[in-house]
Amino acid sequence: MATYIKLAWRNVWRNRRRTLITVSAIVFAVVAAVFMQSINRGSHEMMLDNMLRFSTGYLQLQDYRHQDEPSLDNTFAYDRSMHQRVLETDPRIQAVLPRLETFMLAANHESTRGAVVFGIDPQKEHHFNRIKDRLVKGRFFEPEQAEAVIGGQLARRLQLETGDELALIGQGRFGMSASGLFKIVGMIEHPLREMNEQAVFLPLPAAQELLSAEGLVSALLIAPEHDRHTPAVAAALRDRFGDHDLVVRTWPDLLPELLELFEFDLAGPRLLALVLYIVIGFGFFGTVLTMTMERLREFGMLLSIGMRRGRLALVACIETLFIGIVGVLTGLATAWLVVYYFHRHPIELTGDAARAVADMGWDPVLPMSFAADQFYTQGIYVFVLNMLIFLFPLWKIIRLDILEAARK
Amino acid sequence: MPIVATEKLCKTYNPDTVPVHALRQVSIAIEPGEFTSIVGPSGSGKTTLLNMIGGLDKPTSGRVLVDNVDLTAMKDSHLIDFRLRNIGFVFQHYNLIPVFTAYENVSFLMLLQKRGRQEMHRRTNELLDAVGLGGRKHARPREMSGGQQQRVAVARALASEPKFILADEPTANLDSDSAMNLLGIMSRMNREKNVTFVFSTHDPRVIKRARRVITLVDGAVDQDQPQN
Ligand SMILES: Nc1ncnc2c1ncn2[C@@H]1O[C@H](COP(=O)(O)OP(=O)(O)OP(=O)(O)O)[C@@H](O)[C@H]1O
Ligand SMILES: [Mg+2]
Repeated sequence: MATYIKLAWRNVWRNRRRTLITVSAIVFAVVAAVFMQSINRGSHEMMLDNMLRFSTGYLQLQDYRHQDEPSLDNTFAYDRSMHQRVLETDPRIQAVLPRLETFMLAANHESTRGAVVFGIDPQKEHHFNRIKDRLVKGRFFEPEQAEAVIGGQLARRLQLETGDELALIGQGRFGMSASGLFKIVGMIEHPLREMNEQAVFLPLPAAQELLSAEGLVSALLIAPEHDRHTPAVAAALRDRFGDHDLVVRTWPDLLPELLELFEFDLAGPRLLALVLYIVIGFGFFGTVLTMTMERLREFGMLLSIGMRRGRLALVACIETLFIGIVGVLTGLATAWLVVYYFHRHPIELTGDAARAVADMGWDPVLPMSFAADQFYTQGIYVFVLNMLIFLFPLWKIIRLDILEAARK
Repeated sequence: MPIVATEKLCKTYNPDTVPVHALRQVSIAIEPGEFTSIVGPSGSGKTTLLNMIGGLDKPTSGRVLVDNVDLTAMKDSHLIDFRLRNIGFVFQHYNLIPVFTAYENVSFLMLLQKRGRQEMHRRTNELLDAVGLGGRKHARPREMSGGQQQRVAVARALASEPKFILADEPTANLDSDSAMNLLGIMSRMNREKNVTFVFSTHDPRVIKRARRVITLVDGAVDQDQPQN
């Protein structure tokens, strides 16, 4: 085997320039493909992160009936020890946020609007999504006070200001009527439009009291270190809490339309990468074609002296692989450096794009994803390409007529 | 018992369009230890005959027996293995693997034969010394003269310890000094190691060194004479 590898390696470098050109083409393809994917994935990851932190979070622990019937009856007990147990389930869990959530009517002295009331822990919430930075007026509430922070659009529609009283009317647990007055201490411009129009934040204990749901929450948001840990963390939580009437739901399940949007958006760069690889594939094929054609005599000689066709094909296969592997590894190393650089020093957006992004409350940069799979999938593509190209020498070797080859 | 025998060997190219009778009823027998030359004018069928004997081509009719084994009945994949173990080849050109050194070219066949490393190493060195290339073991073919390349090819053919060695015009591309040098090596191997050689040639000086001369004319054996 060592001899075949040696033979293949030297054959590859027989025409140094040609091989270098082919390898460079592969390197270019790999770098370009990784780069495009990384930009795309990077902005996705950022969007996803922003979306999720302000909405459902990456995963949630819920009562198993909550999905079908998100009422206050399908809530579960949450206290310090529960908090601790969830946090300790997996080292990749960074934070656990309690939320009690229900639909109510929000009213000023003359009109009402539909609102989604969130009982939250403001410290934990802020730590997770820096929600206090969204305050445009006032402050966040103290945990034990009957105070509220509301979305800016909701406030405008109800013509309410900080310092005004907000009336909340609805149903608590088991159909008990629930109503209360809360002082508006802060107003936020929430990045998600729906939330800006509907959200009312209350301190968790106050919400629990209002809704006759003392000690209960509708969901615990679990924050993993990174989205890629979501499945593993979900599995760990299922293991631990699966038999407590609790279920674990991940964001693709909580927000299916978001997943669809992302899948659709990834199709473009994938197609582009495919086109790139087809172009590079033809160049690669050209090299292998000439490498094969100019050696038919040599192949004939080798078959004559007793080298089996399978062995010869093996050598040809190793040759193609060498070019591919050298190309891929160099390409991946280069891509890694390039992506790493831009990951650390993101490309800054300017002009309208920058303003649009800043309006959403995000940094005006093109974030680059550093996810590992975008590197190794390129390796797989080039390998498949390799194998397709190898079919040509394989076919030639299987069909080679010794005498015809000798006459060439 | 002959090591190679042909029985009424016929080869007709293009049988359906313009038939060329390259071989007509050729029956010859080669005994172990012979040093035989196949001669004849261009187009007389020398290459065709050697290809048949070497199992590189199939006759239209007749049989080729190597050590009593009928080559004409063998499948392509078996023939390749059979050649590896029984027949040595020296071609007119493109004999060697261009990216391998003289040493690697000689040992390559033994590697295909799955011989032990030590034996391979010893024999390769011995043979390269024997063909006078002990000092050029690590030269690649393009760094060697045509005569040196042909000597490597002879060493390689010997390395596999075949039953006989076929050489189709091994000296055709060489100047006459190199040609005589190559012949000298072949004939010494024949005398000292009893290696059987069958070779074709046009060169009268080479023909003179043969101990048996088979002359083909128009695809048929015209003369078959011993020489001293
Ligand atoms: N593949 C082929 N197709 C058709 N005719 C062929 C083929 N190979 C050889 N011939 C013919 O068969 C005859 C014998 O050819 P061969 O090559 O055996 O002659 P040769 O004695 O080796 O000649 P030379 O001394 O020129 O090498 C010639 O007439 C040649 O044209
Ligand atoms: Mg000839």
